[in-house]
Amino acid sequence: MALKGLDIFKLSPKKNCKECGSPTCMAFSMKVAQGAVSVDACPYFSEDAKAQLNEATAPPMKTIKIGAGENEMSLGGETVLFRHEKTFVSKTRYAVSLCSCMDDAAVDAKLAEIPKVDYERIGERMFVELVYVNYAEKAGKDRYLELVKKAAGLGRVLILGCTDPEVAKEAVALVKDTKPVLNGANASNYEAMNEVAKEAGIALGVQGADINELYDTVAAIEKLGNKNLLIDAGSASIKDAFATAVQFRKAAIKDSNRTCGYPSIVRADLLSKGDAHLQAALASLFTMKYGSIVVLDQMTYAEALPLYGLRQNVFTDPQKPMKVEPGIYALNGADENSICVTTVDFALTYFVVSGELERSGVPLNLIINDAGGLSVLTSWAAGKFSASSIAKFFAEQDIEGKLKSRKLVIPGKVAVLKGELEAKLPGWEIIIAPNEAVQLVKFMKEITA
Amino acid sequence: MPFTAKSGKFNAKINTVEIGTGDKAIKIGGENVLPFYTFDDAIENAPKVGIEITDGGMENEPECIQARYEGCATVVDMAKKAVTFEGVDFLSLRLEGGDPNGKNRSTEELIQLVKDVADAVDVPLVVCGCKNVEKDAELLDKAAAALEGRNAVILAAKEENYKTIGASAGLAYKQIVGAESAVDINLAKQLNVLLTQLGVDGKSIAMNVGTAAAGYGFEYVVSTMDRIKAAALSQNDNTLQMPIITPVASEVWGVKEAVASEADMPEWGCQEARGIDMEIETATAVLASGSNAVILRHPESVKTIKTLITELV
Amino acid sequence: MTLFDVVFSGNDTVYGLTEGAIDAAIAQHGADKAVSFPDTAYSLPCYYGVTGTKIGNLGELKEALGVVKTLMTREKRLNDVFMSGVATALCAEFIEVLKYIDGAMPYEAPCYGHLGDAIIRELGVPLVTGDIPGVAVILGSAPSAEEAVALVKSYQAQGILVTLVGGVIDQLESQGYKTGANVRVIPLGKDVTSVIHVVSVAVRAALIFGNIKPGDAAGLMEYTFKRVPAFVNALGALDPVIVACGAGAIALGFPVVTNDVATSEAVNIKVPKSLIVQPDIAKFNATSLEARDIKLKITNIDIPVAFASAFEGEIIRRGDMQVEFDGSRVDCFELVQTKDMTEIEDHKIELIGPDLDEFEVGTKHSIGYIVEVAGKSMQSDFEPVFERKFHSYLNCVEGMMHTGQRDMIRIRISKDTFNAGLRAKHIGEVLYAKVKSEFAAVVDRCQVKIITDPAECTKLRHELAVPAFDKRDERLTTLTDESVDVYYSCIMCQAFSPSHVCVVTPERLGLCGAVSWLDAKATNELDPQGPCQVITKEKPIDERIGEYEDVNEAVRKFSQGALEDVSLYSIIEKPMTSCGCFECICGIEPLSNGVCIANREYAGMTPIGMTFPELASMTGGGVQTPGFMGHGKHFIASKKFMKAEGGIERIVWMPKDLKDQVADRLNATAKELYGIDNFTDMIGDETIAEDPETLLAFLEEKGHPALSMEPMM
Repeated sequence: MALKGLDIFKLSPKKNCKECGSPTCMAFSMKVAQGAVSVDACPYFSEDAKAQLNEATAPPMKTIKIGAGENEMSLGGETVLFRHEKTFVSKTRYAVSLCSCMDDAAVDAKLAEIPKVDYERIGERMFVELVYVNYAEKAGKDRYLELVKKAAGLGRVLILGCTDPEVAKEAVALVKDTKPVLNGANASNYEAMNEVAKEAGIALGVQGADINELYDTVAAIEKLGNKNLLIDAGSASIKDAFATAVQFRKAAIKDSNRTCGYPSIVRADLLSKGDAHLQAALASLFTMKYGSIVVLDQMTYAEALPLYGLRQNVFTDPQKPMKVEPGIYALNGADENSICVTTVDFALTYFVVSGELERSGVPLNLIINDAGGLSVLTSWAAGKFSASSIAKFFAEQDIEGKLKSRKLVIPGKVAVLKGELEAKLPGWEIIIAPNEAVQLVKFMKEITA
Repeated sequence: MPFTAKSGKFNAKINTVEIGTGDKAIKIGGENVLPFYTFDDAIENAPKVGIEITDGGMENEPECIQARYEGCATVVDMAKKAVTFEGVDFLSLRLEGGDPNGKNRSTEELIQLVKDVADAVDVPLVVCGCKNVEKDAELLDKAAAALEGRNAVILAAKEENYKTIGASAGLAYKQIVGAESAVDINLAKQLNVLLTQLGVDGKSIAMNVGTAAAGYGFEYVVSTMDRIKAAALSQNDNTLQMPIITPVASEVWGVKEAVASEADMPEWGCQEARGIDMEIETATAVLASGSNAVILRHPESVKTIKTLITELV
Repeated sequence: MTLFDVVFSGNDTVYGLTEGAIDAAIAQHGADKAVSFPDTAYSLPCYYGVTGTKIGNLGELKEALGVVKTLMTREKRLNDVFMSGVATALCAEFIEVLKYIDGAMPYEAPCYGHLGDAIIRELGVPLVTGDIPGVAVILGSAPSAEEAVALVKSYQAQGILVTLVGGVIDQLESQGYKTGANVRVIPLGKDVTSVIHVVSVAVRAALIFGNIKPGDAAGLMEYTFKRVPAFVNALGALDPVIVACGAGAIALGFPVVTNDVATSEAVNIKVPKSLIVQPDIAKFNATSLEARDIKLKITNIDIPVAFASAFEGEIIRRGDMQVEFDGSRVDCFELVQTKDMTEIEDHKIELIGPDLDEFEVGTKHSIGYIVEVAGKSMQSDFEPVFERKFHSYLNCVEGMMHTGQRDMIRIRISKDTFNAGLRAKHIGEVLYAKVKSEFAAVVDRCQVKIITDPAECTKLRHELAVPAFDKRDERLTTLTDESVDVYYSCIMCQAFSPSHVCVVTPERLGLCGAVSWLDAKATNELDPQGPCQVITKEKPIDERIGEYEDVNEAVRKFSQGALEDVSLYSIIEKPMTSCGCFECICGIEPLSNGVCIANREYAGMTPIGMTFPELASMTGGGVQTPGFMGHGKHFIASKKFMKAEGGIERIVWMPKDLKDQVADRLNATAKELYGIDNFTDMIGDETIAEDPETLLAFLEEKGHPALSMEPMM
């Protein structure tokens, strides 16, 4: 268990000098406890105290940074096994794989496909963040290096899948500055591979024939002083890959086994053996249970839409609800004369309500208020969804200028707002919706019939 | 120094519930480890996969699923065909046409259908209501009576109608009572307690703790299931040791990612593939969170999920 | 004759008849002749249920009669009466089964006789759910056919299943009254022994719905007593056979109501609550329901306008107003009072003073309403809980607006609603219906008095209502953590803060500020499976910080193991967790050796160096954060506020608004505990300091006690 803020405070200089950027040592200590800042931000913490602290606060699982510039991303750094305990901090990243064994046409087709899935969902860009470039010995080094260059052209972070240290060295040299991952250290080549990765300052993926060999190899590389590692969960079988991903994560978090505390790479492309639907299942499985990077054979919209939605859900802060953008959403072909329906910006409320409204087929303007991302009753109780906040929002968004309808449906749970809203929004007819979203289809049909 | 992991085996177990009768009967639950953690201990009963049809028959299905039932004219025909698809462990008949806000089909008509379908197949049966609590009370009470002796799952009793459905399915006709709550561990627990107080044997309850399509507030589903399994196994909370059945189909085949036509969303591509993947990815995620059975609609999804389960257990 | 004599003689008579009938049947058909009831898997259900033995033929029936004989003990104790009653019932079953020999159909329409298992399964479900709230067994003949019809009709209107035995069947037929299972009025038969067919239903209900094992007579009787809400109405003269049958009914837990005053008085033994004499047949319904403790669901509210939450936010403007009651100008009040059962006539609504149509349009008047309730589980602590709901009840009435509480209420009624026919009594109807339905677990009877007479309002306000409110407030202030035996958990917030558990004590309300110990207690009584559960406090570990083994156990259980142990009174050692809905957060300010409190409304910086949202993000989520704790505003003035660290003397800073809100109570506590006058003057706020150094200077100047206290860390 991580150190509590108060314990850290006891070690702090207690000067309230503000040099760290926090107004007080107490505030600073609390932030350190949360992992929001590093203790190094304080110039006055004694070395002793820092050592004590670093030992106690070191995360059970390393945070590994890959990619450079705007492509930089963090993997791992998790402190819990279940999302209700504390937020999962580093979302699963998806890679599409290429191989030097493929012919040019196939490579080009894939490279053209990868950027196609790129869209936004609740403020998050959804795209293939990584490209896995696999080395096929038979195709030779030159072809591989060509492929690496070509793949780099996509501007995504690369994972170089290569077990030959010589080839790896040359490949890494081509793209070193983009901070790729080198995946391919194993029991027989780890020393040389370690040199390549260390020299380039990039993360090294470690493989093993089974979980024991994998563990021993990681331990051996750690002995060589490298802790910038990733765990390749293996491609022997789905069962083994799942066991490796779960057991390493459990050992790291529950048993403080630091040798297990590295992010994972899961080769769903190999495990699915060409079955695209099975690959979709595996992508989902390893997003749920402990895949840091999931490598896929391709990413289609069919696979992506549920997958990125799932990831967005699983990696949210359990205490911070997801928000949708406030504003007017025209549904079912609504125009400015269509009836208005309003609710809050809590993502779940939005999805449930908009889903039912769409099902009703009634053209309408769904006006999403800025309610701090809280649900209807919570935001109402917190004063963020009141008659005055709604009226203020209507004024800010110029709803009356944009829409001609003066009928506004409000959630049944805040029926109590009706009178006040009528006073604050003169000229509007306020209509009370039912309490539950499922009743909306019938209700909307009836009131617009 | 080889890798040594502490075993995550628990002293408590999920209840084993048998569904159906005879050779085709299935068992769900019974495990003492987290979902698919075979490295901690053997999993007694692999999760099961059901296929769903509705009283609406062919016209209620998206085109891509209709194609799989080619040649079927009636719901009974579909039922016969459904059980032949690869990977199907049980059949679920959803009586959604009973909804008074929808087609409002009569109880008599729907119960006749339940009987006809039951006579046509010998696999274990799940009967799902229409989601209207008053109508379900009537409909599922009669369905429980009509299926006497089949050891079917009546899905589901909710807080508002648990007395009728619990008394009928659980007491009068000795079926498996599905207990449905809305993604909240405490509500799930409360309903189980209420049902047992009514006299229903805790060992003949299966929970539907609620679900959502991936991307639609699914985090609540994950956390609810994670916490239920934790309470059941690590806290030995016997009011939460009922196995979980999750009807995935009815959630996923309603979201736009699955149903928007290719004409409307050309960049999204083939609608059938989207529907299948939405169903597969959601089903995988609920299984990974602890569902002991899932109900799906597309034969391809059933096959894939069955393969996944076989690989993992 | 005593009751013993009557029952024993009735029992002997029936036994003799049975023995004769069985012997005659054996003589006619032979001992191997099969006997059974049609359409049942439970043999002779009553005998099978009581003994666990199935009877297949006449020979076995004869043997069974020997078993019945063993029940017929003749000591003069109540148990002998009951056992003889059971024996009588079993004999009746034997006589009845003989009628079915050779597949005979002994009963003709409208009588049903034996009822098959299918009907029981069908009727059993609504019985278990309470949709059939009771089963009436009407035996004999009413004084007149009209009265028979009226009685049956009264039960039918309540959804109660009616079974008929004897003369009442002919009485209904003579009036052309429709009977049958579909209308839930089932004539069984005209012989008194046919009453066994309804007993058979009760027994099979226990076997089917109660999972009672055949032969478990005690379990069977417990089930019928607790779960089968049946009762007997014995009409007309009681003969010994009927009394003996009645004894059997009472043994199963079914009370018997009779109108035979003469026999009852002659017999002169009372079986309280089970044998009730009610000479007035018009009151049979009410007497029976109360005797069997049957509560009817109230489904509609009898008012001329709509009642829905959609009207909750309606505002009635002066121009639309028919009449107004305004507690800020004239005497008004609303009050719930607990009374004795005998003092209350259920659903009585009384108006004292003029009705709405006697007031001029647009005028202002006095109103008071007293909701009087009684019930076996009612406690006066629930009164304020009910009262607080009145606001939302009355607001849900279309065209009625209600604000305030206690004696500071204001009610407006719109012209439209008045014109639709709403009058003063309808306020009573609404309150009656809502209190009876929402608090059915504790309210058995309820009546409402509405007072519009101004003099009476003034009098009752000052003589009844205000003293009641004062008494309640006093109860609250004298209610301490030590003075109660149990605390309550509250997990209403777990939906978004999964591992958080509030331990609610009299002096420490839920951190949301909305759940007091009394609220939690009421919530628990009204919904025993709900979010508030009893926590005992019998095993103290450390009184100083308020740690109990039983509290820890509860917290572990309700947090599903996420929380190990909590203290009630410390913010440093094992502090209670916070969900996210706390009204305030207090946190240590080390420089001044005290704590700062920030409330949710405060947007600025605190001397701790963190704003409320920053503090909230570290303290929420059901995680223990030593040095920081979420709490309700009300808790600030509590003597238990961080008692382990020295109590409220530690408070060095809070936002000005909050300080003003809690000043009176906080100063009073400081005066009482430490003899400090105007303690809040020593506490800093944002107008004095937003940083620790300025705050410290201020505290030194004021001589704040925290500065000289033991270091907190």
